[in-house]
Amino acid sequence: MAGPLTTVPPVVVLLAVAIAIAALPRRAGHALGIVASGAALAWAWAVPSGAFLRTTFLGFDAVLLNVDDFSRLMGVIFGIIGVAAVLYSYASEAESVQTAFAYSYVATSYGAVFAGDWLTLLFFWELMAVTSTLLVWHYRGKAVRAGYRYAIFHGIGGTLLMAAILQNYAIKGTFLFGSVPGGPETMGIAAGLPAALAAVGIGVNVGFIGLHAWLPDTYPRPHIAASVFLCVFTTKTGVYGMYRAFPDGHVAIAYMGGGMAVFGATFALFQNDMRRLLSYHIQSQVGYMIAGVGIGSALSQAGAFAHVFNHILYKGLLFMTAGVVVYRTGEENLKKLGGLARKMPITAGAFTVAALSIAGFPGFNGFVSKGIVIDGAHYTFVDGPVPVYEWTTLEWLLLLGGVGTFMSFIKFGYYAFFHGEYDGDVEDANRGQSVAMVGIAALCVFYGLFDGALFSLLPFDVTSKAAVEKVYTTYTVVHVVEGVILGLIGLVGFALAKKPLSKLGRVPDIDSLTNPAVFYGTRGLVVGLTDLYAAVDRAAVAGASTVVNSVTNPDTVYEEVVEGDHSNPLRAGIGVSILVLAVFVTVVLLLLP
Amino acid sequence: MIEHLPVLLVVLPIIGASVPLVASLYTDRIGWSIAVLTMLAYAALAGLLAQQVWPDTVVSYAVGGFALPYGIELVVDGLSLAVVLLISAITLGVLAYARHAGPHENTFYSQLLLLVTGLTGMTVTGDVFNLYVFLEITGLAAYGLVASGREASAAVAALKYLIIGTVGASLYLLGVGYALAVTGTLNMADMSGKLAAVGYDSTLVLTAFGLMVGGLSVKVALFPLHTWQPDAYANSPDSVSAFISALVSTVSAYALARLLFSVFTVDFLTAVPAARWALIVVASVSIVAGSALAVSQASVQRMLAYSSVSQFGLVIAGFAVATPIAVVGATVHLVGHAVMKGGLFAATGIIERETGTTTIGGYAGMGGRTPLAAGAFTVLALGMVGVPPAIGFVGKWYILVGAVEAELWPVVAVLLASTLLTLAYFARLGERLYFAEPTIREEGAIADGGEGSDGGERAEGSRSSSEPRSEGGDGDDGENAVSTGMLAVLVVAAVLAVALTAAVPALEQLLTETLPPLIQ
Repeated sequence: MAGPLTTVPPVVVLLAVAIAIAALPRRAGHALGIVASGAALAWAWAVPSGAFLRTTFLGFDAVLLNVDDFSRLMGVIFGIIGVAAVLYSYASEAESVQTAFAYSYVATSYGAVFAGDWLTLLFFWELMAVTSTLLVWHYRGKAVRAGYRYAIFHGIGGTLLMAAILQNYAIKGTFLFGSVPGGPETMGIAAGLPAALAAVGIGVNVGFIGLHAWLPDTYPRPHIAASVFLCVFTTKTGVYGMYRAFPDGHVAIAYMGGGMAVFGATFALFQNDMRRLLSYHIQSQVGYMIAGVGIGSALSQAGAFAHVFNHILYKGLLFMTAGVVVYRTGEENLKKLGGLARKMPITAGAFTVAALSIAGFPGFNGFVSKGIVIDGAHYTFVDGPVPVYEWTTLEWLLLLGGVGTFMSFIKFGYYAFFHGEYDGDVEDANRGQSVAMVGIAALCVFYGLFDGALFSLLPFDVTSKAAVEKVYTTYTVVHVVEGVILGLIGLVGFALAKKPLSKLGRVPDIDSLTNPAVFYGTRGLVVGLTDLYAAVDRAAVAGASTVVNSVTNPDTVYEEVVEGDHSNPLRAGIGVSILVLAVFVTVVLLLLP
Repeated sequence: MIEHLPVLLVVLPIIGASVPLVASLYTDRIGWSIAVLTMLAYAALAGLLAQQVWPDTVVSYAVGGFALPYGIELVVDGLSLAVVLLISAITLGVLAYARHAGPHENTFYSQLLLLVTGLTGMTVTGDVFNLYVFLEITGLAAYGLVASGREASAAVAALKYLIIGTVGASLYLLGVGYALAVTGTLNMADMSGKLAAVGYDSTLVLTAFGLMVGGLSVKVALFPLHTWQPDAYANSPDSVSAFISALVSTVSAYALARLLFSVFTVDFLTAVPAARWALIVVASVSIVAGSALAVSQASVQRMLAYSSVSQFGLVIAGFAVATPIAVVGATVHLVGHAVMKGGLFAATGIIERETGTTTIGGYAGMGGRTPLAAGAFTVLALGMVGVPPAIGFVGKWYILVGAVEAELWPVVAVLLASTLLTLAYFARLGERLYFAEPTIREEGAIADGGEGSDGGERAEGSRSSSEPRSEGGDGDDGENAVSTGMLAVLVVAAVLAVALTAAVPALEQLLTETLPPLIQ
């Protein structure tokens, strides 16, 4: 069963490549990164399905390499974007070390999506958080603090997931996935508390509303090439993990997805920082995927993974174009840009393709996959509390998200490329950047026009009645009309909202609540503990010194107490320590019987 | 001779400790060589002993041939063997470090070997009173070692350690008295049976338990009985802090485990849930409070000291959970923590010698200036956080799985939080080391009288470091501050922090073969 392709898990090879990138000269290292990503792509395509490299880790069964249609799709798209992103890094003057960090992040993502058990998945999940934090930190400056917040968020999320996995283990007696031979009979995380913990833990990674603040906080800050990597792996691996945890979906998750689609698109509309706007759109787009996973039908899950695939292409492309604008003009703010279309035709062209893709305009890849999810919400999901006309609740949420997407990308394009004139000289993207952008843009169009190529990659064949509940056809009159109408509404909406939007200041998001809460919370904990300790200490010192003074010859002991104490209120003196000890033992003795 | 191995292990370092004192009549610099010879012989003996115990023998030895249970018994099983091997390895490592780092006096090495005697005695003894004797030997030697630092603060720290430690040991002795009054015996195995016969809910038994555990908790430095420990660790010479941070609390925690499993047994914990919960609560509070205090420290060594408070909370929590897998985990963490914490203290010593900095702020940007020490420090810190495949992960993981199996959910929550808390203080340091601009470049430049280019920085770093060091107490080091031996020790510790994971299955087998009498 184990052939030459299945002897080593890809993460091992790719981590070695990451180290080599740091060690080699810049040009050779990046070339190696591109070749290795291409090889990973070919490998993911060719590797046979099945569970390989079964081993025991600390006495628990583990499967280091588990290939099925879901992980294969992730491996293929990670390979494609890896090639483009490394090329883009090289062209954007990223340091070797930064690309090495980014590559280790790619490598651990491969480890996560090809894991066959929860333990291995969690291991690489945590490593992804570490490597991506390093990638953010590498840019220094403002990125460092954002990196901290990012690390704390993901640390908490990972810990919740770990708690869920442990409880799942306590119930099922194994860490293996249900789909792996020898695994438990039911797939996914056991229902009840474990499922809730898993949903919240993974929810941090996919940016559930309320848990999403790290996303727009972190992604705009590092190097432009780092953003391209960041926007791809964490959230999409999260979607993949969500599927593994909830293979049959869950209503609450589906509605959370719908909510994210609207919430992210709305907040994106308020943003003026390009990469911050794009970050909110990650949340919005991931909302579609989460909705697809949550619906739980074969059609919607196929749609979710199709959307993962397409989203990685156009979102990577969007961050590349925004990066080029930053790279050439040094400006992050849309209000200070404009008229770049004439100066930067390639970038503007690539942006247009990507924007039409993300908004789901007919002929582009986003249209195909978003359509599957919306069809899934229409045909295979409950009506929900507030169906409107013939749309189910979830469906109109997703459609509304689509309008918001159109509006915010019309805004982005209008202010960056078409509005006014750009004074001063500015060059278009350099050759490497152009190759990367045009290549990905071509793929966006290709998968939009030839939807069969995309369908063949999906875990469920959406064109076969045997595999899905409702056969999906991309180009029907209804779909196309729907897509065009959404676009028109978006255009009109933007025209109406342009004035009020431009007057709008910065809209506070949930992080203006959570950041102080976390900050003062942890500070309160530490200060509270130390102050409590110091208070006990002071009281005890006061008590001890009266006792000591009443003793005939107190001087030496007293000196010790004071001297041990004055430099730091925390340092308990000898007398206090003994007092604490005596009280401690007394309490223990009193409590024991 | 082979049957005398357990007692030879205790006697050998005593003899070794007396030789440097005599030799002082002729030369003051022979202590190190004698200590190394002694410890090499000790390592050989420990190896022979391991051969005997492996894979499933419990070696028992009656001192002087007096019939048990009246004579003193020495017992070596899997748990004590692991600790003996640890003592042997750590001591050799510290000697390699101290070769250059000092102190160089004969008396220092006498005390060191005396400390080894005490630790070994605590480890192999099968008698609760004998344990007290060795506890005091350990304590006295450790107080002396802490006082060997030259600053006044070292003397104060040692005095504090002495008074608190002695009170703790006395409490333990009181507990032994109560136990003796109930059972009429001091032998652990014998006492265990008689305690069960008396009944675990007897007030005398409970009092004995409370006093003994309370006394040992001081030595383990669980919160809030830890107050001696940060001062002692931070104010002693770096060789000493590496040594005592790695071994003294470790062996005390071992003694606590021995008491739990060999004297009171798991049946006691089951019969008196309050006792188990008391331990679990103290351990959990230790984990959280130790981490919180560690976060609030400015000095790296004090931070590491508070980190020990937290990590020993983890170990004791594992022992208190008391399922087989949790006990294996606690033992793994006990050994792993010793290696990692010793290595971390050695690293702070080296970084201080190379750059003159001891605070977290001062560590900014030092990753480039002392690449090897900073790199090893980072590896060890990650191991301590519990990043797989380091040994720190395995220990925590086993304890966690044990707690899940026992369905002690509050413990699970604290254990999971502990990883985050550990990350909180080590991430800060890692970020300082590698991602921050150096803050003490100016100081170095002043000391050198010029700004100096990148190329000359390393040389400058080591030269200028002699300045802060001369007031730091090790004035007789010469200009070359860091020796190959010191770096080698650090690298070995970092490698061991990962490589020991491979030894876990062997340890697990050893414990499951020899522990069943302990954990029914």
